[in-house]
Amino acid sequence: MAPGRLRSEWVARLFVLFIGLGVPMIVVLVGRIDRARVINVQAKMPEVGGWSPVELSAAVGEPLDLRLVSDDVVHGFAVGKTDIQPVDLIPGQVTEVSLQFDKPGTYTFYCTKWCGPNHWRMRGTIEVTGPQFSPVAPEPPLYMSLGIDLDLPHDVHLELDRKPSALNGEALDVVLPEEFRTREYYLSNSPYDTWLALKELPAISHLNDAEVWDLVAWLWASNSNRDALKTGEELYRQNCAACHGEAGDGKGVFTRVEDNDSHAESLSKDFGHALVAPTDFTDPSHMMGSSSTLLQGKILRGGMGTGMPSWGQIFTEDQIWALVDYLWTYQFQMED
Amino acid sequence: MLARVFALAGFILVILSSLLGTPVGSRNFAIIIVWIAWWASLILIAVPLLGRGWCSICPIPMPGEWLQNGAVLGPINNKKGFGLNIRWPKKLRGIWLQNVSFTVLALFSIVVLTQPHITGLVLLGLILVAVIVSIIFERRAFCRYLCPVGGFIGLYSQVSPLELRVSDTSVCADHKDKTCYTGNQDGYGCPWGVFPGGMVKNTNCGLCFECLRTCPHENIAVSLRPIGSDLSQARGRKLDEAFKAFIMLGSAVVYSLVLIGPWGVVKDAAFAVGSFPWWLYALAFLLVVYVILPGIFYLAVRYFNHTIAVNREPARSFIDYSYTLIPLGLAAWVAFSLSFVFANFSYLWPVLSDPFGWGWNIFGTAGIAWTPYLSGLIPAAQSIVLILGLFWSIAVIRRISSERNTPILSPEFQPWRIWPLVSYSAFVTVGLLWLLVG
Amino acid sequence: MIDLQMQWIDFPNKSSNVFHRQPLLWSVIGVFGLGIALFPIPLTPHRPVERNFRVDASTFEFTPAVLKVNQGDVVNIELNSADVVHGIYLDGYDIQVTAEPGQAAYLKFVADRSGTFRFRCSVSCGALHPFMVGKVKVGSDYLLMRGAGIALLALIAGVFGFQK
Repeated sequence: MAPGRLRSEWVARLFVLFIGLGVPMIVVLVGRIDRARVINVQAKMPEVGGWSPVELSAAVGEPLDLRLVSDDVVHGFAVGKTDIQPVDLIPGQVTEVSLQFDKPGTYTFYCTKWCGPNHWRMRGTIEVTGPQFSPVAPEPPLYMSLGIDLDLPHDVHLELDRKPSALNGEALDVVLPEEFRTREYYLSNSPYDTWLALKELPAISHLNDAEVWDLVAWLWASNSNRDALKTGEELYRQNCAACHGEAGDGKGVFTRVEDNDSHAESLSKDFGHALVAPTDFTDPSHMMGSSSTLLQGKILRGGMGTGMPSWGQIFTEDQIWALVDYLWTYQFQMED
Repeated sequence: MLARVFALAGFILVILSSLLGTPVGSRNFAIIIVWIAWWASLILIAVPLLGRGWCSICPIPMPGEWLQNGAVLGPINNKKGFGLNIRWPKKLRGIWLQNVSFTVLALFSIVVLTQPHITGLVLLGLILVAVIVSIIFERRAFCRYLCPVGGFIGLYSQVSPLELRVSDTSVCADHKDKTCYTGNQDGYGCPWGVFPGGMVKNTNCGLCFECLRTCPHENIAVSLRPIGSDLSQARGRKLDEAFKAFIMLGSAVVYSLVLIGPWGVVKDAAFAVGSFPWWLYALAFLLVVYVILPGIFYLAVRYFNHTIAVNREPARSFIDYSYTLIPLGLAAWVAFSLSFVFANFSYLWPVLSDPFGWGWNIFGTAGIAWTPYLSGLIPAAQSIVLILGLFWSIAVIRRISSERNTPILSPEFQPWRIWPLVSYSAFVTVGLLWLLVG
Repeated sequence: MIDLQMQWIDFPNKSSNVFHRQPLLWSVIGVFGLGIALFPIPLTPHRPVERNFRVDASTFEFTPAVLKVNQGDVVNIELNSADVVHGIYLDGYDIQVTAEPGQAAYLKFVADRSGTFRFRCSVSCGALHPFMVGKVKVGSDYLLMRGAGIALLALIAGVFGFQK
């Protein structure tokens, strides 16, 4: 038997081992090493794990490089109360971000694309360490300093034939007493209470109920930041509409429960609590009894077991006020 | 040889990416390479044109073969391998085991098709079984008797335009050693356990060309021939192959309904393995494939025999005429595959650049978004394929019913009496048209 | 190396062919076949109407999954995702739109081509995403009718087109 035969056999065997086995193994090894160099953040639906890891750490001024990938559906990544641009996470496609923090503290990162009823629970934290400035005690939220109880029922009974219009109110050309026109008054009083108080005023006793409502609308419009309305609408559509409905009627996609009990049961299991219908912002009996501070507080704190998320770590003050301004447009006609 | 080693490397990469890579099916190398790239090449090109061509480069039996032979390239001296080389038990011959393995895979197919881990485990299982079988039994017993793909590739190779046959059988008669079957220093005896001198059909020939190496008289050749020739070959028609024709046709029908139809309920049932709805789905699948389709066909054949007053064993007729469904089944699978192959082909580009979903971009194509290709042309293409399959099936009905050992000798036989069989094929075709195109 | 000899082989069973074609019938059948396949079917005039559909997308189905319109209609599809981000891609018309839960997305097109067009989910939404399919039926499905017609013709040809 020709010795050349044996030699080619050994060459062939080496070839098999190298190409057949070696190359794939090397590929994987290189990949693993590369993966170990960066922080890999996997995004999964909250029911199966959410973010992992869920706690990250960084240092002030140093870039935090992350490789983000979704393991199931479209998610998004953003860091609350920062300027960092949100990124979309297409399933299986890796997105790299580099985050920089100027101030130390605990930041919350969160998912920006609805990925199920528990989407809002999909959050993690980034601990940013750095030279401590003199620690500033965080200010208590407005509803606390004003002593407003967020959970007190505040429905009022009233009937409105039409949406109160701020333009009509302005056209009435009434000069209201100083106290009604302060920001403090607007923040701590509900439209209904304002309406009642206005009706007491002898100066405007010639106005009928609807016209007084127009005055309230005008007061509310003067306290709204027109420029922020667009921001508020964006935020609402992206974060609130899924439950509260695109029309603000509380009938978002996640509230659709068929009559059959098992579906309701599984939904409430998903939510982790008893089902409560999301607030209908188009309902005057509910909204007119809320002050702006109450609304802001509810958004900040969340609903205490009702499924309403707490947005305090996610939105800046300005963003929440923009939302509040937007919510009032469901009750008041603020523009043409 | 080179092709096979690359195929093996690809296969191992597939298994690794399935187990270690992203769980998102559409971005996992394993799912896209196996169920889009390989499947498309197989059912649209390899099987119709090359029959068992894939078997010649399939990586699954390779490690086992090498161990069995004790060599990678070819025989060296009289070196023995590590195999026990036990003969495959007679009772387990034929393709019934392959029918079962395909059916089992088919019942779980939706999970396998969409979950990378599961695809990986299935492939890993197949290669491990192949290695173990190679060490215990002789030749490519896994390929011939167990492989789920081999069952239908073998059946459909009967319609391929390629064939490997001996040129002159008298040369074989005079050749004492029959080295094409026993092997010599130039190559191994047929790994498929086929004696080329007696081969009349492609069914079990894996196109490995070992016999071309070992034949001392250069008596073996690969030739082109009219497509479908083997279907007219009456010798060797068996019940297991007949049922395989129904398994393939039936599974194409069920998949067209479940996967390409708009009914989410059945899709969820087919996916939720182990749940009650899945058991219903599995039962329906088995009924359609093993009872309803063959049952109606059997009645058609019985009726046909009755109308031509022929006293032929119904099982024999059933088996013979089942071969008319082979072109129909192939057309059905091609048409069904067209539903999703071109729509999802663009997943190939990101998967080549980033096979594991780890953020690589080897070829720069990782960011290419999903774009369906040719979506407007697919329904027309599917219709043409199905109609061609029907024409072909009818042609085969014609041929088989005019064979010497079938009823043409009966005076009652009028050509139009084949209408029950023709109607069966026509109805199945229209059904598939409605499911896929309508 | 292995030498492949390619040669043509005569088809083995020609001699036992008992079926003889009837040329006249086959010509007629052929003409009919071409007619069914190619003859342009005149449109039954329908006044084009604007149709609105609200489609809910959940894993892994569309509700409703079958939309029926007449040829020439202006079709508005409002896509609502009920659980995760979904999308619609319409075969043949090559248009797509993506909807996040809570934000409806709109697709508007003129259904100028008749037939059955499948629409698929265009955003990876989980395991069965590639099979999340619905269909838009525009007018009559002439392709299906032609196909069924030819199948029927094949049936007739296969049964009556031969004599002993």
